[in-house]
Amino acid sequence: MPKEHTLLDAKREQKRAYWTLVLPGFLIYISVMAFPTIFSIFLSISDYNGGKLFGGKPISFVGLKWYGRLFVDEYFYLALKNNLYIVLVSVFGQIPLGFFLAYVLYRGIVKKADFFQTMIYLPTVISTVVIGILWKSFFAPYGAFPELVRLFNPTYEYGISNHPMLPVLFVILWMYTGMYLIIFIANLQKIDGAVIEAARIDGASETQVLGNIILPALSGVLVTTAILAISGSLKSFDLIYVMTAGGPANRTSVLSIYMFDKAFKGAPNYPLANAISTVMVIISFALIGLTKWVEGKFGGRE
Amino acid sequence: MTGLKRVFIVALALLMVVTSVFAQGTKEDASAGKQIELTVLNYIDMSEPNSANEISMVWDKFAAENPDIKLVREDLFNEPFHQKTEAYVASGKVPDVLYMWPSGRSTSLHTTKSVKDLMPFLQKDGMVDDYNPATLAPQFAGFLGELPNGLTTTHMLYVNTKVLRENGLSIPKSYAEMKAMVGPLKAKGIDLIAMDNMDAWVMQSCLFSMVVGRFGGTDWHDKVAAGTLKFTDPWFVKSLELIDDMYKSGMLNRNSLSSPYGSSRGSFAAGKAAFYIDGDWSTASFQTDITTGKALVSPASQQNDFELMVIPNLPGEVISNSNSGVVGTGWGMSANIPAGSAKEAAAWRLIKYLQGEYVQTYRLSTGASFPSNLNVDVEKVVKEKNLEPFIAKRAAYYAAYTTITPVIDGVLHSDVYNVINTGLQEIGLGSKAPSQVASEVQKAWETWKKNQ
Repeated sequence: MPKEHTLLDAKREQKRAYWTLVLPGFLIYISVMAFPTIFSIFLSISDYNGGKLFGGKPISFVGLKWYGRLFVDEYFYLALKNNLYIVLVSVFGQIPLGFFLAYVLYRGIVKKADFFQTMIYLPTVISTVVIGILWKSFFAPYGAFPELVRLFNPTYEYGISNHPMLPVLFVILWMYTGMYLIIFIANLQKIDGAVIEAARIDGASETQVLGNIILPALSGVLVTTAILAISGSLKSFDLIYVMTAGGPANRTSVLSIYMFDKAFKGAPNYPLANAISTVMVIISFALIGLTKWVEGKFGGRE
Repeated sequence: MTGLKRVFIVALALLMVVTSVFAQGTKEDASAGKQIELTVLNYIDMSEPNSANEISMVWDKFAAENPDIKLVREDLFNEPFHQKTEAYVASGKVPDVLYMWPSGRSTSLHTTKSVKDLMPFLQKDGMVDDYNPATLAPQFAGFLGELPNGLTTTHMLYVNTKVLRENGLSIPKSYAEMKAMVGPLKAKGIDLIAMDNMDAWVMQSCLFSMVVGRFGGTDWHDKVAAGTLKFTDPWFVKSLELIDDMYKSGMLNRNSLSSPYGSSRGSFAAGKAAFYIDGDWSTASFQTDITTGKALVSPASQQNDFELMVIPNLPGEVISNSNSGVVGTGWGMSANIPAGSAKEAAAWRLIKYLQGEYVQTYRLSTGASFPSNLNVDVEKVVKEKNLEPFIAKRAAYYAAYTTITPVIDGVLHSDVYNVINTGLQEIGLGSKAPSQVASEVQKAWETWKKNQ
């Protein structure tokens, strides 16, 4: 005789289904995100200096020694400042530019929208290493950039400017704007065209349509892109590493390169490198929290 | 549902059986000793002439002659090589045989004793007398961590005499003479010295170490270690001031700070600079690639238009014509290989081959290194193989500059030499004064000393 299904069975089944679906993701999250982050904090207050973690030389705790060393190093602040430049270029450069370009293409203000969309997005699909090498050669002392400038100003002499970060920031802007363009275009296409048309019939100008319909509708997307930009900026490594490796004299270094140098250049200092990574996580949380607060305070509703 | 479960259980059981069979199979292969597998970490710049050729001339030859050994080789160069090495050391999984330095960037391999002392192997095989005794001196951690290719001088002044001749100039005999060349050459759009200073180690290793030796003498490091010399004393400050003067006077172009290592060799060969500063190892980059027959500097031009020397007399130096040098790079063996095992014998066979007569003769002919193996007769090989003029000029250069002083990153800890490296770049940017850098170096030295 078949067994009768009770309410209890259904709940148990639901619970089992819930765990079956959630557990793999939860375990992956714990093993590749939560555990390394916590372990990194643990290493940052230890004297671990390479070798076997378990069964090797015993590890002892040294408190906040490495954080103390970090906060008196001028190059830490230099790297942090460069990271903040990248955050600024990303949030106030890539996002507005990406939005502007997406808006221009979406509203059909220019012809051949597909062509422009492809061209602007193209840098995103090229390998970062290739892009880094390309621009490194472009800005090199005997590279194309000085030669191009000399076409207009024959007496021009290429020199290390007081802002060696400028070429790097330019490349970052060029490379990632396309990604935001695609995100904005995809979300703009979700807005009901009839609403915009109705507003135009009612006499709303292009600016009013943008300010009163499109921007409020996209406020959530703007926050998401800002979070992406901030977290992406803080972890930026590959492009800068290939272009300048943080040099000269750490002038183009960022926190991730600073951390990498401490871990892998010369005698490794793993606790210090882990202290840097912990600081990076804290800064990242703080900036994302700030973004969420700004959205809560001033953002519209989708 | 039950059917599905059964299928799932059977599939899982099958998977376990299959994986255990394969695991068992691997064990059997190893114990049967059919082929011993060795992991190798090789250092090679594939953009250099004759690199591709090295694969067939060195590695393929070994594989053909030693069918019982299977090499799993990893080829890396420059920063990626060093970073991978550090990662291997940190994980405790150092490759069986690996290319390494006697100190400097390989310091952690020595200090963590991740590699074996090779002296007992040489003694056991009666091979100690086959090598130049200077190359077998104990290395950073007090033992022979790697069997060196030879001795390396980290400073070499490459001179384009054709550029000098065409501008009515000749090889300078003093620093002042060299400095006086900046004006006439700059008027023609030619740099005095080409150098690639974007990588921080280049200035320290290829120029500054030699300068420090000139002002501090051959035993400056011993005196610093004994506390009788300080980095804030005149010998070191003067050395930094000289670098500052080279930038300020235009002898060194500040743009060199944005030039990646190796990138200005072509410009120098093409006559865009009269001098080029690098280590002795870079002669290889100017020689002919056997495969393509192409060279940055043709053999005829090597003979007639180029010379190899060191920076001439510096004002206030305590020793003249000295150069900075260190025991060369070489091959080490992982300490993880069990002593007396077949794998250890295989790894030693590989290292003996790599530092044997055949490979060292080959490396001499490509300019990669000058031999540590005394069975290689340099003069004879140069004559018999009709080697390119740079090889003979390099031999003459070694004979001319016999006073050798320490290389900074070969004797100081990275906590100290990294401060020097960055300080030299700060001087290049004009953002720090030599005395300020000297104070920072002294502070780094004292901190490091205190932590020992």
